[in-house]
Amino acid sequence: MKFKSKYIVPVGADGIYEIDTGKWRTERPVMDKDKCIECGICAMYCPVFSIIKEDEKYIITYDYCKGCGICVHECPKDAIDMIPEEGK
Amino acid sequence: MKAIDLVSKTEELISPGISACVGCNVELSLRVVMRVLGPNTILAVPPGCMGGVGVVGWDMKSGAKVPVFFPLLDNPASMLAGIKLHYDRLGEDVNVVAFAGDGATVDAGFQCLSGAAERGDKIIYICYDNEGYMNTGYQRSGSTTKGAWTSTTPVNKEGIGGKMQNKKDFPMIMAMHDIPYMATANPAYVQDMVNKIEKAKQVDNGLAYIHIFNPCITGWGVKSEESIEVARLAVQSNFAPLYEVENGNFKLNMNPRNPKPVKEYLQKIKKFSHLTDEDIEELQADTDKKWNRLVNLASL
Ligand SMILES: Cc1ncc(C[n+]2csc(CCOP(=O)(O)OP(=O)(O)O)c2C)c(N)n1
Ligand code: SF4
Ligand code: SF4
Ligand code: SF4
Ligand SMILES: [Mg+2]
Repeated sequence: MKFKSKYIVPVGADGIYEIDTGKWRTERPVMDKDKCIECGICAMYCPVFSIIKEDEKYIITYDYCKGCGICVHECPKDAIDMIPEEGK
Repeated sequence: MKAIDLVSKTEELISPGISACVGCNVELSLRVVMRVLGPNTILAVPPGCMGGVGVVGWDMKSGAKVPVFFPLLDNPASMLAGIKLHYDRLGEDVNVVAFAGDGATVDAGFQCLSGAAERGDKIIYICYDNEGYMNTGYQRSGSTTKGAWTSTTPVNKEGIGGKMQNKKDFPMIMAMHDIPYMATANPAYVQDMVNKIEKAKQVDNGLAYIHIFNPCITGWGVKSEESIEVARLAVQSNFAPLYEVENGNFKLNMNPRNPKPVKEYLQKIKKFSHLTDEDIEELQADTDKKWNRLVNLASL
C-alpha cells in the first residue's frame, strides 16, 4: 500500500475519486454574452465551480455542471437561460 | 482574498465531481472553505452528506487533494487534536480542519468538541448546519428548527406534527467556551465567509469555530435554483444572523435596517409548509428575542 502525502495521513493511492455529474443534467445553462457584464456573481455561487474565468471573461463549462440553475437565478442581468438537454 | 477572485486565483482541492444533490450549498461552502485554506491542510469529514458524497473517497481513491480523514460521528475534534499535537511537536505549521455536519457537531461529537475548545487545541472546526441527519434520511437533530417536518418528526394529513423542541443555539454555546474565534457564516455571503476562514486560519492560541447555516435542498424541500436565495433570506430576516466573537467581543457582520419577516424565509421551504400563523408568530418572536440578545451582547 503506497500513499502519496508528506503527512502521516494518506491521499488516495489510486488518485482522485470523481463521478461524471455532468451526465445528471436535464437542462443546461447558456450565457448570453450580449447581456453579461462579467461581474462573476454566477461563478461565485456555482456549487461545482463550473463557471471559469478565461481572458477576463466568464464561461460555463459542462463536464461537471449539474444543471441546478443557481447561476440563472443569481445573475443580476438575466444573462443566463436554462435550455433542455437533448434526449432528456 | 476577494470572493469574486476565488474562481480564478485559488486552487480547487475537492474532487470536481462529487455526488452532492443538485444545487447543494454545502458543496459550495466546502469548496470555498478549502480554496481559502489552501493545500497546507489536513481535513476530517465525519459520516454525513459530505463524507457520503465522496469527499473522503472510496477504496483507494480520495475525494480531496489534501489528506482527508473519515473520523467517527462522535470524535472529529479529539482525533484532530491529536494530529495537531503531532505536527506541533515536529514544528510543522499545518491547518488541521474539521468539516462536520450538525449531527456530528451539536449532538454526537459535542463532548469531544467541547473538550478540545476548553483545552485550547489549535484546530479549525467548521460545522455545516443543514438542520438534521440528512445523509441517513433527514432525521431531526438538536439543530433542527422547532416545527419543522423531518422523517422522525412527521406531520399528519391534518398538518399536526413537526419537531416540538427549540433549535439548539450552537454558535452561542461555542462562543461561551471563550475560544479565541467563533463566527457564523452563510453560503449567500461568500465574502463574509472568506474573511472568516482567513481569520480562523490566523488563530494560533486555541480553537477556531465557524458555524455555516446551510439550507438543504432535498431534506427541506427547497428548489435547487433558490438554494442561495433561501440562505440569504435566513440572514435578511435575522433568523440566522451573521456575527463573530473575537476574544469575547461580539460583532454583528450584518445588521438589516428593515429585517424581512421570518415568514418570507419559511414560505420557501416545504418542511415548514404545514405551519399555522400562530406557529410562524412563535418562530418570529423567538427570532426577535435571540436577535435582541445578540444586539445587546454586541453593544457591551
Ligand atoms: C455514532 C453513530 N451513529 C449513527 C451513525 C450513522 N450516521 C452516519 S451519517 C449520519 C448523519 C450525520 O448527520 P450530520 O452530521 O448532520 O451530517 P449530514 O448528514 O446532515 O450532512 C448518521 C446518523 C454513525 N455513523 N455513527
Ligand atoms: S452573473 Fe450574469 S452578468 Fe455576471 S458574469 Fe455571470 S452571466 Fe455575466
Ligand atoms: S447550473 Fe448550477 S452547476 Fe451548472 S453552472 Fe449554473 S450554478 Fe453551476
Ligand atoms: S441532502 Fe441536503 S446537504 Fe445533503 S447533499 Fe443533498 S442538498 Fe446537500
Ligand atoms: Mg446535518
